[in-house]
Amino acid sequence: MITENCNVSDFKIRKSPFWCSRLLIFCGLVGFLFIPAGVGLADQPRMVLADAVVCESISNFRPVSPAVVFSVSQGEVFCFSEFDPVYEKTAIFHNWYKKDKLIFSMRLILSVPKWSSFSRVQMRDADKGPWRVEIRDEDNNILKTLRFSLSD
Amino acid sequence: MPMEQLTLLFSGWRWQDVLDIVFNAYILFRLYVLFRGTNVLRVLMAVVVMWILGRSANAMGLVITNWVMQGVITVATFIIIIVFRNEISGVVRTRSVSFFLWEIPRTQINTPVSIISDAVAELAGEKIGALIVMPLKTGVDSIIGSGADINASLSREMLVNIFWPGAPLHDGAVVIQRGKITRAGTILPLSQNRHLASKYGTRHRAALGLTEQSDALVIVVSEERGKVSLVKDNRIHEVRHPDQIEALIKQYTCGPEPVKRMRRQTRELLVAAMVCLLCTTGLWLSFSRGMETLANYDVPIEFMTPDKKMNITYTSASRSRLLISGARPLINALTLDQMSIKISLDGTAVGKNKLTISRQNVQLPPGIRLKNIEPDQVELTLDTMAKKRVPVQADFAGKLPDGLIMTSIRVMPETVKITGGELVLDRLTTVFTEKIPLENLTTSGVVNVALVMSPATLQPDDKHQKVQIRYTISERTRNDDIES
Repeated sequence: MITENCNVSDFKIRKSPFWCSRLLIFCGLVGFLFIPAGVGLADQPRMVLADAVVCESISNFRPVSPAVVFSVSQGEVFCFSEFDPVYEKTAIFHNWYKKDKLIFSMRLILSVPKWSSFSRVQMRDADKGPWRVEIRDEDNNILKTLRFSLSD
Repeated sequence: MPMEQLTLLFSGWRWQDVLDIVFNAYILFRLYVLFRGTNVLRVLMAVVVMWILGRSANAMGLVITNWVMQGVITVATFIIIIVFRNEISGVVRTRSVSFFLWEIPRTQINTPVSIISDAVAELAGEKIGALIVMPLKTGVDSIIGSGADINASLSREMLVNIFWPGAPLHDGAVVIQRGKITRAGTILPLSQNRHLASKYGTRHRAALGLTEQSDALVIVVSEERGKVSLVKDNRIHEVRHPDQIEALIKQYTCGPEPVKRMRRQTRELLVAAMVCLLCTTGLWLSFSRGMETLANYDVPIEFMTPDKKMNITYTSASRSRLLISGARPLINALTLDQMSIKISLDGTAVGKNKLTISRQNVQLPPGIRLKNIEPDQVELTLDTMAKKRVPVQADFAGKLPDGLIMTSIRVMPETVKITGGELVLDRLTTVFTEKIPLENLTTSGVVNVALVMSPATLQPDDKHQKVQIRYTISERTRNDDIES
């Protein structure tokens, strides 16, 4: 079984008009006044998981054929995760389990403002059965669990 | 060492052993009571001696002697049956059930002999034929069933009256027991002895016939000669002077001093009982202690848990092999339910525990000794019961038809509550369904499948024995194929 990872920056960031930016800054300042004392940046999530799927391949930085059952004859399975927004540079983990046994763990770096990443596992005949991928943050919190089966 | 052997010999007695010995000693004693005074007992004694010789020869390794003794005993048994068939059948036929089981016969000690001798003398003087039976140790009830029951007090006049010519009962014999005339007019079995002197008539032949089958004393008064004869043990003793009758009867029955004779009989029976008890004990010891043997038994280990909530989830061994020694009969009679290994779980904790199986944990019947325990340690994992809600994952197998892709599934319910050991539940993160074959799935649908519990000690909620899988199957698009 061969595994790989890839961090992909999102190229589809659109330019906002200038007035819109100023409005946003104003709203932000007003909103800051209403934040209760004691609430710090530590409670703020570093990123938000927008999407996560298990798929047959990655094409143009997008998942192809997301599914829950994969044939071992395809040779590899991908776990794609998209974070939007990412507030600060951080890392996540893709932990691959066959049944309840941890087979492979991949650390993936996320960069601001948004980031997509994937990990890949090559499958053999002996790997058939139920699998799951746990996407965890740096503090080991589970962000999402993706379940799939590897069949003939 | 001899002290140790003695201790071993008399240790580990069970109540069954005592019962065994007492019961067989009693049987032996009853045999003695049945056959005492007969030749059968003497021959039986000889057989017992031969048997002891054979056993000793066996113990000493004298193979041929042992073999010969066994042969002789076998042959002797047949010889006893053939040669003493009359005596044996006499004993068997003449005894009642009570005699076989508990009755102890004694010679007549209360019979007023003087009344009998006076009557006999008078009958002889008058030349009146008479036949008087006095049963001694063995009864005669089974031999002489005929006649009339009288149960009359014994008196000279009564006896003379019974035998008076022309009286209804004068032709048969009179039976006198415990100081009473119990029966009259009885017919006695005739002897088949061909060497009987011609001077003796039918009365003598009948008297001989009875004494062949019993130990009774029979008094015969000859009608022709007026002579008195005492018949006992196949022998006819003619009384020459009437004065001797009383003395001779006493000699044959209870002797001159009844009390002393009674004591002697009691002493004899007590000695016989003791000898029977000793013989049986010796026999039992030779059987049970003489043949030590070893045996292996796989005995189940019983764990006694004081905490009902505590469960055993794993044991390294459920049985332990016990190497035991003991007498061969005891070992052969041993069954598994007589042995047990009990281990208390006091002081154990949740998780892995290592316990030692000591001799205190092993229960064996008396007389059986423990030599070895294998394994003498057992590892077990204890757990308390708990519940946990865990997600369910579908487990697909096989191959989807070409051109189809399963894009999503939904398990209902997504989680189930599982009951099981806390330690097991801690490690449990997912419950899987049984294999769902993919070959027949061509369109989206729903399937109900059971959950697979691993380990099997886990239990799902009753209402969640099965879960529903709602799956979506779609056709692959051209893009999918090209991109992949």
